[in-house]
Amino acid sequence: MNKIWIITKKEILDSIRDYRSWTTGLFWALFGPIMMGGMLMLIGSSVRDEIEQPLHLSVQGQENAPNLIRFLEQHDVIVESAPADPEAAVKQGDLNVVLIIPPEYGEDFSSGRTATVKLVLDSTRQPARVDINRIQNLLEGYSTYLGTLRLVVRGVSPQLIDVVSVEEVDVATPQSQATLLISFLPYFIIFAIFNGVAPIITDTTAGERERQSLEPLLINPVPRGHFVWGKLLAAFPFSLASLGITLVGFGIVFNVLPVEEYLGIRIGLNILTLLLIFLICLPIIFLASAIQMLVASFARSTKEAGTYLPFIALVPSLPGLALAFFPVKPALWTMLIPTFGQQILINQFMRLEPISISNAVISTVATLLLSLLITWVAVRLYQREQIVFRKA
Amino acid sequence: MIEVQDLSKSFGKVKAVQHVSFSAADGQITGLLGPNGAGKSTTLRMLYTLLKPDGGSARIDGFDVTESPLEVQSHIGVLSDAQGLYPRLTTRENIRYFGLLHGLNGEALERQIDQLIQMLDMQPIADRMTEGFSTGERLKVAIARALVHDPRNVLLDEPTNGLDVKSTRAMRQFIRRLRDTGKCILLTSHIMQEVAALCDYIVIISGGTVAAQGSPTELLRKTGKDNLEDAFIEAIGSEEGLQ
Repeated sequence: MNKIWIITKKEILDSIRDYRSWTTGLFWALFGPIMMGGMLMLIGSSVRDEIEQPLHLSVQGQENAPNLIRFLEQHDVIVESAPADPEAAVKQGDLNVVLIIPPEYGEDFSSGRTATVKLVLDSTRQPARVDINRIQNLLEGYSTYLGTLRLVVRGVSPQLIDVVSVEEVDVATPQSQATLLISFLPYFIIFAIFNGVAPIITDTTAGERERQSLEPLLINPVPRGHFVWGKLLAAFPFSLASLGITLVGFGIVFNVLPVEEYLGIRIGLNILTLLLIFLICLPIIFLASAIQMLVASFARSTKEAGTYLPFIALVPSLPGLALAFFPVKPALWTMLIPTFGQQILINQFMRLEPISISNAVISTVATLLLSLLITWVAVRLYQREQIVFRKA
Repeated sequence: MIEVQDLSKSFGKVKAVQHVSFSAADGQITGLLGPNGAGKSTTLRMLYTLLKPDGGSARIDGFDVTESPLEVQSHIGVLSDAQGLYPRLTTRENIRYFGLLHGLNGEALERQIDQLIQMLDMQPIADRMTEGFSTGERLKVAIARALVHDPRNVLLDEPTNGLDVKSTRAMRQFIRRLRDTGKCILLTSHIMQEVAALCDYIVIISGGTVAAQGSPTELLRKTGKDNLEDAFIEAIGSEEGLQ
């Protein structure tokens, strides 16, 4: 036991002096919060654009339809006079859309014939879509409104012409995009843990072999298992730090940005929730260290280890992806899958849903058992003579 | 005291060591001499417990290498072919780590480290990180950490490999001093002159088997030659591996 601690202390000291490795790990810890913060701000700004900004609309022939103009102005449209050549202006992208009211509009309108207005638009310009849709909706609304009035005046129920009424339920709002994004938050946390330990584990295993210090080390009178445990424990503080930094980062992002306003759902990342997420993630630190240790011990060099470990960090993202697209109920079988159970639990914490204690316990125990199994395999690996003398 | 009895080891079809027997006495320098690939390092690796013999046995101070590897490891100091240090630790920290792993600590360990630093003239590099050390400096640190627990038996795999003339002389001097303290020294070399200059007892290994063994004078008498070089060639039956 004492010797495990000696190995752990040495590896921690050695790793702390390796600034480049652990700062890379820390960068990965900040990756999730920075990315999610940025995406939320983007989504937030587009939500605000759509709702708050009045529509600037260039109109040619305003004098031909004073009532229509008044209707538009009442609906938050700022009417501006159009340039001499509206089509050129739209083609060049100076204006998103131009409304042309021809001189015969008034006459057609008064005599009850269909009065025509023209919209000049470029349907291939994505950024203009919001403006185009809005003005189209307003014009249709005006037409329906007056049509209804005319029917009522003639004593006909307007419902007669409303044969089918369509109500749109658009789920592809910016909100739903953001909700999708939020589903990835648990994975970002796990990603940070895996990447936080990767450089440390690589250096203490593949690095030890690469710099030819493994052979002299193993000649010391210490059971092989002690080396595995000592090196594993040395990785823990670094992944703890990664986990902590990621959570603090997410805490800041979700408490500084008005996320509720953007998303329309409550995300409860207060200090208590963050602390609970921290606790629920602790077994993953063991798992991430053990599995990467096993793989890195096979690698002949740090370079080789560096080609394997990123894949391992991606594995827990697969159930996370599924979670984003197909919401999964926190059933027992999900808790038995290490990292998947935790992702579901984190999601529940975030959404302030009640957590079942037994789920948390099962997920923790399952993860710890798998970690112990992997560590046992790693110890067996270190007991083989090939650990030092591998044929290249 | 190292006793090797009928030791064998194969890697797949390659029979690296076959039925090797010899013993190395305390207070003597024993040399395993042979061309590259003769099985010297494999023999040594079985003695320092990193390889398990397929057959035969080896005992160090009475402890069997397969049955009680930890005891064996406590009784040997090894300079292996791989001499990697921890570049971000200082000389002192490198030595201390191995001392702690041997169960030493506190004042006794620090005194031992100081003594080794003095003995190997390492004062100028004692508190520097070992990153960027020269071959000679790295070797000194590797020796110091191998001897930190003051082992009775010292195993050296090609100890002067890659050293310049001055360092080689210093190294040989150091090995003799260790012998004079009564330790059992076992070293490997493919250099005839080195073994002739250092060793009290020579085991000539060729193709995984012992071709001849004895003190230098015994070897001359057995082969009927008047110098060791000829005796060596006579024993292994070719000029392969001679410097």
